[in-house]
This record gives sequence, C-alpha cells and structure tokens, in this order.
Amino acid sequence: MAYTTFNRQINDQMKEPMFFGNPVNVSRYDQQKYGIFEKLIEKQLSFFWRPEEVDVSKDRIDYQNLPEHEKHIFISNLKYQTLLDSVQGRSPNVAFLPIVSLPELETWIETWAFSETIHSRSYTHIVRNISAEPHKVFDDIMLNERILERADDVTRYYDALIDGINLYQRCGEGTHTINGQSHSISLYELKRRLYLCVMSVNVLEAIRFYVSFACSFAFAERELMEGNAKIIRLIARDEALHLTGTQHMLNIMAAGDDDPDMAKIAKECEEEAYAIFRKAAEQEKDWAEYLFKDGSMIGLNKDILCQYVEYITNSRMQAIGMKAIFSTTQNPIPWINTWLVSDNVQVAPQEAEISSYLVGQIDNEVDGGDFGDFDL
Amino acid sequence: MPCVKVTAGVVIDFDGRARTLLDALEQQKLTVNFQCREGYCGACRCKLLSGAVSYINEPLAFVRKGEFLPCCSTPDTDIEIEIP
Repeated sequence: MAYTTFNRQINDQMKEPMFFGNPVNVSRYDQQKYGIFEKLIEKQLSFFWRPEEVDVSKDRIDYQNLPEHEKHIFISNLKYQTLLDSVQGRSPNVAFLPIVSLPELETWIETWAFSETIHSRSYTHIVRNISAEPHKVFDDIMLNERILERADDVTRYYDALIDGINLYQRCGEGTHTINGQSHSISLYELKRRLYLCVMSVNVLEAIRFYVSFACSFAFAERELMEGNAKIIRLIARDEALHLTGTQHMLNIMAAGDDDPDMAKIAKECEEEAYAIFRKAAEQEKDWAEYLFKDGSMIGLNKDILCQYVEYITNSRMQAIGMKAIFSTTQNPIPWINTWLVSDNVQVAPQEAEISSYLVGQIDNEVDGGDFGDFDL
Repeated sequence: MPCVKVTAGVVIDFDGRARTLLDALEQQKLTVNFQCREGYCGACRCKLLSGAVSYINEPLAFVRKGEFLPCCSTPDTDIEIEIP
C-alpha cells in the first residue's frame, strides 16, 4: 500500500480510522468524524502571532547585566527549546501525514507543525537580539552533550515510526531483504510504534518544555528578560493546545472505537508509557541540575524546579487516565499560572475581544423594579 | 442558587458573584491548578462527584466521565466536587 498524494479510491472518510486507513483524498471539512480537531485548528489559527511583533530590545541590556551563572541558565534553556522545536516543526508532518486518514486530523497536524516553526523563528529573534554572535549559540546546540543526550529520547520514537512506514509502504507486511539486510514489519507493529510515538510527543509537549518556561517566567518575575517572557507566553499558549491535541489522540486510541487494535496496543504498552513519562521526568530533573550547577537564581533553585517537574508529570499522566508516579501534589511555583493564563497574553484591543475587559464590568440584568422611581 | 460542596469540607453558594466555578473556588481561597482559563488546556480538571454543570463555552480539552473543567462551567444543580 504505497502512499499516494491523491487517493483515487472513493471512500467514506467518516468511516476511516484516524491512521492507517485510506490516505485522505479530498480535504473536506463539511463532515467530520472528530469535530474536535477542526476546533483545535480554529483555535490555533486564532492564536497566530509573529516573533517580530514582540519587542525584545530591553532584553539585550538585561542579559548583559546578568551574572554568568544566570546567563548560563537563560541561554541553555533557549538552546534546548530550539532543539525541541526543530524536531517538532518537522516530525509530525514527516511521521503522521503519510498514514493519516481523516481530513480534519491531517489539517490539524499541518497546522500544529506550522505553529512550531514560528516558535523556532522566535528563538532566532531572541538570540539575535541578545548576542552579537548568534551563530555561536546555534552552533553549540549540536556540540552540547547535555542537549544531545536528550535529543535521542525525543526523536527515537519518531524515527522508529518513520522507518517502519517507509518499509511498509514500499514493501508491505512481511520480511524483506533490502541491500542484503533482512527487515520485517507488520501493520500491528506499526500501530504500536505510532502509539508510542504519540505518547512520547505528548510527554515532550507536556513536560519537557515546562522547565524552560519556569525559568523564563522566573526572570520575568524580577522584571528581567521580559520580551523573552512575552514570547514564551505565546509559545506556552500554543503548546497547551498541542498537548490537548495529542491527549485527544491518545484517548481516542485507548477507547478503541476508532481502531480496536489501538485499544489493545494501549493496554499492552501501558508499562512502556509509564517508563516514557518516568524517564522524561528524570531527564528534566537532570537538566535542572545542569542549569543550576554554578548557582541558583532568585525565586528558583534545583529542588523547587524538580518538585515542579514531579507535580506537572503527575497532572499530565492523570489527564490521559494514568496514575500519578510522584508523591508531590502541590504546585511549588503557583505564580507560574498567572504567566500561563491566556487572558493575560497581550493582544491589541482592535484585534480581539479581550474577555478580561468584559467580565463583571456591566450589569445587564434589568427587571421591573429598576423602573420603580421612574415617572413620565 | 446552587451550592457547591468541596470534599475538603467547604460549602460555597454559587450566587452569581463569580462568573465560573473556578472563580468561585478561588474566591474561597481554594487552590486549583489552572492555565488557560478558557477550556483548552485542561489544567483545572476536577472530579464531579454529584450534580450537573453546564459549560459557558464547550471545552476543547479532553474531559473524562466524572470530571469537569471549573474554568468554563457553572453549576446547574447542587454539586459535590473534588479538587485533585
């Protein structure tokens, strides 16, 4: 079943599963199997922003005045986020588009990956501004051991899925000899790789970004690097939506109505899913240690950040029906929530109806009693 | 006026001063995790033990049976909830 960009087979897209059915032919949204993906697309489009809209010029002065260990915290986080979004800007397209079968899900994947490319461009915007030699920052990403060792876990599941899809779409199920080497693939194995891949993406967007977010907002709490924090808020808003997207996919898979195999796989992979979460949390804690190796910053240290990782890991696991694995139940940095509220993301008033302006400002309730002392 | 019973022992009258259940809980100084406050992130997920709520805007976040999002809902009846 080779991939085709325009599947000639007339099919009812309402009866297709999310993945591994017929390739999508007509991008139609008049009928939708899962309306949620259309709603996510609309929301993501309404979030559209460009890095250049955010003025980061004051950050340059702030950055130059930061002590060395805080510069290390700031720039290391930025490098790590650059890696994450480099992967996320391309991989959903490469991995999921060849196997997706629903028009609304196909477009959601494209919309999702596109917004990640904006994040990547925003890192260049920030780095160009704070450094006279931005190339040094980017060149170091491919040399930094700490970043590379985590890159492996971020990309492994994508690569396994993509490799399997290539083989399956070229040769079909079975054992094949290619360049003298034997490879086997089955549709069931591919579905298993897909499930684990979506799980690992979910973990990436649920946990891995948040250590960096916390540091950016901790700087901004001290009125430092505020331009950067504004950009990070916009990124965090997008990421929350992407996370909702992968959570929906996982929950639809686990329910089994879409594809009974997937429900079976979700059960079989339960232990592995726990392991993916646990490993990501451990890696983020190691990262926190690396960030603070030369000293903490005001309002944030290694222990607090590790507690936050545990807290957020628990809550993300519960969101997809898993059990919490850490004992932490309280958010150790509750102030981060105010930075993550989308209402506080600044939008020009002419561009949007800002709900915070509307809440409780006018009492629209009118009844007969209000005219009591009114004479004609 | 529906009343909101929280498992921690707090009882709140939802009397219209709060726009959403999340606002009402916060007015009582109860800590609920939150992020987007408009139903797409799901950070404020709580358990709905009894009663019914309705949504001001249908949430985008995945909501399991027996759960609800206080950030975009109001109670229809007396409800009993558990904050995780």
